[in-house]
Amino acid sequence: MTSTYIATLELAAGAVLLSAVMTLWRRGVRSIVSMLSLQGVALAAVAMVLGRHEHENALLVTGVLVLVVKGLVVPTLLRRVSRLDPRSRESRPLVNVPASLVFAAALIVLAYVVGTRITALSPTSATHLAPLGLATVLVGYFMLVTRRRAVSKIVGLILVDNGIALVTFLLTSGVPLIVELGSSLDVLLVVVVLQFLMVSMRRHSDTDRLTEMKALHD
Amino acid sequence: MIANVDSLSQGLATLLQVIVVALGGPLLVGLMAKVKARAEGRVGAPISQPLRDLRKLLAKERLHARHASVVLPLAPMVIMATSVVAVAITPLVSTHPLLGSSADILVIVYLLLTGSAAAALAGLDPGTAFGGMGASRAMTIGALAEPALLVAVIALSIQSGTSNLPGIMASTLANPQWVLGPSRLLALGALLIVVIAETGRIPVDNPSTHLELTMVHEAMILEYAGPELALVSLGEAMRVGLLFSLVANLFLPWGIATHDTALALALGTVVVALKTAFVAVAVALIEVRSAKLRLFRLPELLAGGFVMSVLAVVTGLVTR
Amino acid sequence: MGWFLAALVLCGAAALVGAGLPRRVRVAGSALLGAAGCLIALAVALRTLIAGDTLTWHTTQILPFTGLSLSLDPLAAWFILASSFVGLAACLYNVGYAKGAMASRSAQSLFMVFVLTLIAVPAASSIMSLMFWWELMALSSLLLILTDQSRHREARSAALWYGAMTQIGAASILMGLLVMTSGGAGQSFADLRSHSSSLSPLAQSFAFVLVLLGFASKAGAVPLHVWLPKAHPEAPSPVSALMSSAMVAMGVYGIIRVGEDLLHGGTPWWWIAVALLGVVSAFYGALHATTSTDLKRLLAYSTIDIIGLVLIGVGAAGALKDNGQLGAAHVALSAALLLVVAHAAFKGALFLGAGAIERATGTRNLDLLGGLIHAMPVTALVVAISAGSIMAVPTLSGFSGEWLLLQGLLHGFATTSTPTVIVMLLGVIALALTGGLTAVAFVKSFGIGFLGQARSSGARDAREVAVSMRLAMLLLVVPSVALGVAPGLLVAMLSRATTSALGGKLASPLDAGTGLVLSRLGGAIAPAALLVGLVAVMALAWLLNQTLAQRRARRVEAWGCGRDLQTSRMQYTATSFAEPLQRVFADVLRPQSDVEVTHVAESRYYEQSLMYENRVVDVLEARGYRPLIAAAQRLGRVARGLQNGSIHRYLAFGFVALVVILVVVG
Repeated sequence: MTSTYIATLELAAGAVLLSAVMTLWRRGVRSIVSMLSLQGVALAAVAMVLGRHEHENALLVTGVLVLVVKGLVVPTLLRRVSRLDPRSRESRPLVNVPASLVFAAALIVLAYVVGTRITALSPTSATHLAPLGLATVLVGYFMLVTRRRAVSKIVGLILVDNGIALVTFLLTSGVPLIVELGSSLDVLLVVVVLQFLMVSMRRHSDTDRLTEMKALHD
Repeated sequence: MIANVDSLSQGLATLLQVIVVALGGPLLVGLMAKVKARAEGRVGAPISQPLRDLRKLLAKERLHARHASVVLPLAPMVIMATSVVAVAITPLVSTHPLLGSSADILVIVYLLLTGSAAAALAGLDPGTAFGGMGASRAMTIGALAEPALLVAVIALSIQSGTSNLPGIMASTLANPQWVLGPSRLLALGALLIVVIAETGRIPVDNPSTHLELTMVHEAMILEYAGPELALVSLGEAMRVGLLFSLVANLFLPWGIATHDTALALALGTVVVALKTAFVAVAVALIEVRSAKLRLFRLPELLAGGFVMSVLAVVTGLVTR
Repeated sequence: MGWFLAALVLCGAAALVGAGLPRRVRVAGSALLGAAGCLIALAVALRTLIAGDTLTWHTTQILPFTGLSLSLDPLAAWFILASSFVGLAACLYNVGYAKGAMASRSAQSLFMVFVLTLIAVPAASSIMSLMFWWELMALSSLLLILTDQSRHREARSAALWYGAMTQIGAASILMGLLVMTSGGAGQSFADLRSHSSSLSPLAQSFAFVLVLLGFASKAGAVPLHVWLPKAHPEAPSPVSALMSSAMVAMGVYGIIRVGEDLLHGGTPWWWIAVALLGVVSAFYGALHATTSTDLKRLLAYSTIDIIGLVLIGVGAAGALKDNGQLGAAHVALSAALLLVVAHAAFKGALFLGAGAIERATGTRNLDLLGGLIHAMPVTALVVAISAGSIMAVPTLSGFSGEWLLLQGLLHGFATTSTPTVIVMLLGVIALALTGGLTAVAFVKSFGIGFLGQARSSGARDAREVAVSMRLAMLLLVVPSVALGVAPGLLVAMLSRATTSALGGKLASPLDAGTGLVLSRLGGAIAPAALLVGLVAVMALAWLLNQTLAQRRARRVEAWGCGRDLQTSRMQYTATSFAEPLQRVFADVLRPQSDVEVTHVAESRYYEQSLMYENRVVDVLEARGYRPLIAAAQRLGRVARGLQNGSIHRYLAFGFVALVVILVVVG
């Protein structure tokens, strides 16, 4: 029984990181958002598996909340935003795709080095996977910095949030429901604001590529 | 006496394995063409067409390009030799082929690299532009696929504690829960990308193209005709068979013969054929769904494979 | 020990003969004596490796005050094995190669002195002896670079870079070794060995870093490698071969000797630094080798690549030993040592082959070669086997070394220390990347250089070189094949060398046999059986061809898309072969391109001529060293302001300095 628990946990945590790497790899904004919803499902799976094993109902509810918000609502909103320009692609990110993939590999190795030191403090079968969450945070941040399209940047931000959530789930095996609710609502708010901003950006300057907007000063 | 009988039966098992792959490789190529044809709404050539092509080629005249040297007739023999020896030492039908104790996965990787280098030299030998182009592109793809391949192989070896092929298979048989672990799955993904690159399938290369400027692999062997082309094609088909069945056996080793009895060997042959056919159909469906990538988009694909294999190693270390 | 001294004396005699005899017998005489000396040194080295003991000798006659000490233990014997074997081949090669400037008195005597120093450096066992032989090695090779006067500008620039960097390196080594004597130890290695444990860890690390800088620069580790791609191509071919096979090995020897033996291993982070240097060197060297079109420059960068792999092995061994993984450490160091010897053989053969090509065609530029296999079959065979060895074709020596290194790294993953695990991972990635890139580089050099049609008149008029040159090249091919097919033959000697380096009573995990077997760790290869299988299948395929098809092939025109008459200009060149990789790695290589357009006098809309140049320069040199040199020159110009010509000022400087010294001392 315990071995299937560990196996499923490993698979789900691995899927979270893998979907983060896939968002770096893919160019089409629609496929990036699909990867994000996949990550939401995997994160929810981690929470639910942990909740089932530790017999904590709060975690189960958190899992359902994560599934709904990060697996369904946020990706749908992002898809609606990206429908404003249906053929949008990350055609020329700041760091090109092969280089950013190699960089991601380096970040994953860095997360492994740092993460194992943290997990050595309290080694259990769940905390061993914390470096995967740390790696997701780093990859998400990298994406936030190097991608030109607004939607890709938001996806990066959500990746950072998901990574932090994964690390907290694994290390503390449970986040108080209210904290998770708060952070999910934050993300939701960001996405709604983004939608509004995108519409007005398009109306004003007919583009949503943020590098072309350099007049962010008085 | 017992040792002699043992190695004799081992030798027979190995010979069986080589013959199975020699016949099965072209059949696999034919199967993939058939699946692609059906998926595209055509009837397609029969599965045994590549074997018939080989027979037709053997009857044709031997031609050499004017400026070619001894390398041109030598290269097909090297390609065949590396393919056959790689097949002979890999545990496909039985877990202990003739050289099983020294069947190292790194030997297989470097033998296949040697075959590719021989093909590239054959492309450069006649002194044509197409041959050089094919050689240059194929070697570039090989160089970029090598990191993904080696790191994925090392990921498997770390988990099993050895790079000896029968050892990896034995440890997988002993620990079936590894098969669905994230490390193995990521290594599988990376190896699939590498196998598609090494066998020259869409999205890396189109094996049935006739436009020289779009060729990667075909351009290297453009100057071959007749029996030498048959040798090259057979060697390549055996590579395809070896790579697909190796992937199948590394990740799902069940069904492989652990004794040398005739029943076990027969069962092992059938099972490995089925597993390999499954992999071939999967690859053919990937081919149908994708378009061939531009040459300079390939580094993205291969870098992605590389990251997946690094991920496989890191998750393997984390979940140790 | 007497025999070893005899070998040294013979090489010295060869140098004298080279300076003394008239031109007709000079080359043959010195080559004969030099070859005899190398042969005796080789025999002594083999004897020491088989017996496993240490020989020592000391005299106060040659160097005043400190005396000259020599000591031959298995580790030193292993490196002497490499350098004496290549020295033997180089002396033989010299007989046919030395013509014109190379056959002059100075060139011949300096050549023999260089060979002598390469045999003596590993045997040095005191600081002064080491520095004596080290400086003599650097000086003789530096002067040899200036031999060929037809390439004035490049040779002078190469000599300047080489001289400056080797001197800085030597100063750094000397400083590091002197730090190790602080607290009043003697200057012989035995004294240093016993004294080093009483040094503070900070002092030990400081000494190691200084010594590492000097030895790593000599070995060609990035970023201290800048002199290598300049100096190795400019030297005459036998000298290049010795420099690339034996002299860089001396750098590796120094690191192992000081780090493992004299400082007893030290802390893990030293070795992690060494391994990281190796990772960067391997990648950088392989990448630049792929994009070089000058044959010798390609070989020089490939030396940096292989030395990177050796340093990965050395670093991994040190780190693993400090973490308690003694078995894996042993395997990693054995792999590094095996690669050193294998590299000496195949790199020596490749450089001698490049010399033969240069002699026959008059050029080193791959873009101007082609079709040489028809006129120079022996050279082609040598280059093919050596290139195959460096590409790690199974059954050749390079594969044995790389397989063993991968085994060491693989079993090192079991360690618990995370930085060491990362080093293992980076080592595997480096091996994988450089394997592919090296394959591209050497398929390019053999395919473009020897196959296809000749791209210039020089290539068209090539003839096979002299018998002595051919024999020397074939001699160096033998280890590539022998160490590839039966590496197990050297296992006992290799284990003794490794144990003498790592110290202690470790039982070697390498077992006896013809192949390489690691029975306790799990892993084995049997290249002899592989070779039998490969040859059998090739014979079968040939038989098939001969029986089922006709015996003779008909010669026809190659396919030109419906157009006849392929000219040599239509072929791929070396530049075009490497162009896709150059594009993929453009961010690392930073190629520079220049376009020059000359317009027609009448109108700017029409072009008379267009010149396009694309070149790949060494990035570290262009963006690292040159700005540093420019800054130093600016500093010098500023300092020149002190010299305004007034004699009063100069005298005042001396007076002020005297007063300051008196104040400080008093």
